[in-house]
Amino acid sequence: MTAVIRVEGRRRSVLRRAWDYLASFDGLAKTAMWTLAVLFTAALLGRLFGLGGSPTAIVGPRLAPPSLAYPAGTDSLGRSLLPRLLEGVMTTLLLSAVAVLLTAVIATLCGIIAGYRGGRTGGLIMRVGDILYAFPAIVLAILVAAVVGPGYIAALCSIVLVTVPLMTRMVGQATRLVAQRDFITSAVISGVSTPVIMTRHVLRNISGTIAVQGTYALSVAILVEGGLSFLGYGVQLPGSSLGLLVQEGTLYMVKAPWLILLPGLILVLAILAINLIGDSLRDRFEPREARSLE
Amino acid sequence: MSETILELDRVTTVFRTGWGRGRSELVAMREVSLDVRAGETLGLVGESGSGKSTTASVALGLREPTSGTVRFLGEPIGGPKQRRARRGLIQTVPQNPHWSLDPRMPVGLSVAEPLAALDGSRLTAHAERVTELLRQVRLDPALAARYPHELSGGQRQRIAIARALVTNPRFIVFDEAVSALDVSVQAQILNLIIDLQAQHGFGALFISHDLAAVRYLAHRIAVMRLGEIVELADTARFYETPEHEYSRQLLEAL
Repeated sequence: MTAVIRVEGRRRSVLRRAWDYLASFDGLAKTAMWTLAVLFTAALLGRLFGLGGSPTAIVGPRLAPPSLAYPAGTDSLGRSLLPRLLEGVMTTLLLSAVAVLLTAVIATLCGIIAGYRGGRTGGLIMRVGDILYAFPAIVLAILVAAVVGPGYIAALCSIVLVTVPLMTRMVGQATRLVAQRDFITSAVISGVSTPVIMTRHVLRNISGTIAVQGTYALSVAILVEGGLSFLGYGVQLPGSSLGLLVQEGTLYMVKAPWLILLPGLILVLAILAINLIGDSLRDRFEPREARSLE
Repeated sequence: MSETILELDRVTTVFRTGWGRGRSELVAMREVSLDVRAGETLGLVGESGSGKSTTASVALGLREPTSGTVRFLGEPIGGPKQRRARRGLIQTVPQNPHWSLDPRMPVGLSVAEPLAALDGSRLTAHAERVTELLRQVRLDPALAARYPHELSGGQRQRIAIARALVTNPRFIVFDEAVSALDVSVQAQILNLIIDLQAQHGFGALFISHDLAAVRYLAHRIAVMRLGEIVELADTARFYETPEHEYSRQLLEAL
């Protein structure tokens, strides 16, 4: 039977298929993907080949406006802003991505158990999630930073704590929907073990929800990182992150507006792009449920 | 007389909901007794809310009754642990062809799943048996590579039947298995079930609100109302001279 499946011309390379998949998104989502790709590539070039110069070296006059020598101007210490921006983008994206991966794993595990098992275990998981959810996100983040000490780890933990409850709930709901389906009952009657049902049937059928929620969690993550660094509990100097740059920028908002505008703009662009991709993913995964005329 | 496959002996199932003063009880099955023999189809009819589906889940061992015993091949059916022990012997064909198969899986693998569950083998290890089963339900074996949304409702229900048959079960519950299909497809599926039962000799519980379908394939009929079986009779006798008032009402409505 596997032979039959393969004969249907699905032997194209993985890269080719990935490209086709990306090409099938709508224009808005594609623009968003390009935006993210450009940001990430620029940051990568900065890290690998020193594009824009060193992020810590003092190279010119203080608070110089953007010019040919300093494409994004210089900051209060005379450091070129461009390499600091690139480093900030890298830090923010990497930190958020790692945190969201963690969130996805935790939320998927908890959500599937809560949604499939139900009962007391499920109720307990959901209530803990509700309590975390009821906390204002930024207060939670500051609390974590106070316990762990400001820095990368604090930012990471805060992002996870802020994003896990919502995603767990969404995964739990999606799981509960799938768990009611007849094919799950049939599998139970056939004696398929619970872990196998969870991975083979439940996980596959909620993968869309996980992708969509993961994307939204990523935009929340960037926001939380920004907020935390802005308040001084996140990434510390001489490191750089978008939130930290915005915070530095506020001090010279009138005299050197590019210091706040540029990182702020990038922050907005990145979040917008990720949300647009999330919307597109949702459109792709969710209408399947409801349509009967297909 | 052939062997008794499944026996419900004075089974009562009560659902309790709420707390304190809001607490309420619903008796879904009241002293229900019935049996299904090898090669026989017992039709279970009744209006919505009469307890048919609860009876099905009790017969499948999915729900433990409040009182009374359920025996499968002479042994009490027990809880989830025993379920693993008798896996493959009981199967079900569910109602909605949209949800009877995992939408993310080629249907061939869905058919293979009960077999794989028997010995812990891989889903892809049973291609030959899947082909054989698809032929038995009169489908092109090449359809095994398709996904459920690429098949029609009738085809999906055939696949669900193939899946139920793959382990040679002794007992199959058809829970409104043809209700969602249009009439001409219904007839094909009913004929298929009759033929397959003659071949395999499984006992069947056929749950439906459609009296015409039940008349076509059931050997005996049980009529449920408000959780009780009000009449249980051979099909021919039932349609000629229904004894209970409610049965007569049902037949008149037909």
